[in-house]
Amino acid sequence: MKNIDPVKALDDKVERLKKDLKSLGDRIDNAQTDAAQNKLSTTNQIRDTTRKIAKTNDRVTELADSVHRLERLLVALNRKVRAGETRKADFDNWPEIGKPLIARILAGQEAYARRTFTPQEAKTRRKAISEYDRLAHEAIDAAEALTTLPPNAEALWRKKYKQWQAIAGKQRPEAPDEDEHAKDTAVKSAGNEAIAEARELIRTRIEDAVANDLLFPAWFENMLGPAAPPGKADDWLYTATDVVLYRLLHDVTSPANALGRAPQEQGHRRTLHDRLIVECADYRKP
Amino acid sequence: MAAEPFARLADRQHALRTALRALQAAGPGSPDFPSLLADTGKEVEAVLQARHDVEAARLTIPNRAIAAGTAIAALVVVIGWFDGWSLLSVLLAVAVAAAVLVDPTGHGIWEPRARTAAIAAAGLAVLLTPLAHGWAALAVVAGVAWWAWRIR
Repeated sequence: MKNIDPVKALDDKVERLKKDLKSLGDRIDNAQTDAAQNKLSTTNQIRDTTRKIAKTNDRVTELADSVHRLERLLVALNRKVRAGETRKADFDNWPEIGKPLIARILAGQEAYARRTFTPQEAKTRRKAISEYDRLAHEAIDAAEALTTLPPNAEALWRKKYKQWQAIAGKQRPEAPDEDEHAKDTAVKSAGNEAIAEARELIRTRIEDAVANDLLFPAWFENMLGPAAPPGKADDWLYTATDVVLYRLLHDVTSPANALGRAPQEQGHRRTLHDRLIVECADYRKP
Repeated sequence: MAAEPFARLADRQHALRTALRALQAAGPGSPDFPSLLADTGKEVEAVLQARHDVEAARLTIPNRAIAAGTAIAALVVVIGWFDGWSLLSVLLAVAVAAAVLVDPTGHGIWEPRARTAAIAAAGLAVLLTPLAHGWAALAVVAGVAWWAWRIR
């Protein structure tokens, strides 16, 4: 039904628009209220969280304190346990690994370190020796002449003295050993067998100590930590065996420092020392 | 007195011969060859020292005489043929003469004869100075060089 009166139609329209405006105003008001509420709750939440964090902080500090106390307690306990009756593992005395065995190991290591003559080197060496022998004969002849020369034949004296000096103070080169190579091989394999034997003995004793919960010596714990790191027991045992073997081979007796003073010269000992240092640092990591 | 250095030289030569016998018997390959060699080396040094003593005993007087002659000749040349340029050779010769007068034989094993050569060169230089003037210093220098080379 359509209004025919235009004024009335306009009035209606105005009326409708007014209603629309009002509803819009209402909606804006609602939105404002919502926003304010939201803001308030967010602020509250943040305040809450801040409070919680502060509380957690306090707790962490408390925990750190108690961990520290625990640590000190543990140290004291460790000392008391060591002083007490607890059975200790002995990794310092090895009556079953005798001097001959150690000597065999060392001889094997020496054989590995020794450089062998190549045939060419042996040939030059032999040539040098024959040259030395020839010089020696000449020098002896010259010295022989010195025993009969009249004192005023100075030129001859000088000549013979020079010939003599060609040999004086010189060393005869060491002769190359023909069966050195074969001997070395035998020594090397003997050394390897000895090492395997010693390793077996040491490992058995360490395994026993672990199995019976014996107290490790101070140097052992300093070097390898209080126990095998989880999942690496076999590697740890291997390294521990080598540490003990190193002490045995190189006569390290320090009660605190497992490997003793670092060796200065290059060689088998230095290599082993460096390897053990690296490996053990790995096991001590928390 | 004069026989004594000779006797000592003969003695030392005999000792050296004995040491050489031992060295020859051992041969270069034997284990005690180095020590025997060192012993023989000492004997050789001793023989050379004994020979030095013989030479020293023989040359002390001639060396001193030539040195004194050189000094006197130098004085004569300086007075008779005075020349600034000639002073160089004369003074050098006098220096050598003074050194040889103080110690006519020295301590090095070849030194007695080296000193003889040096002082003879210095004397020659002094005699040549009237002719060669300062250039005669070259003769002195040559003699001293020879001396230094011998005791090196």
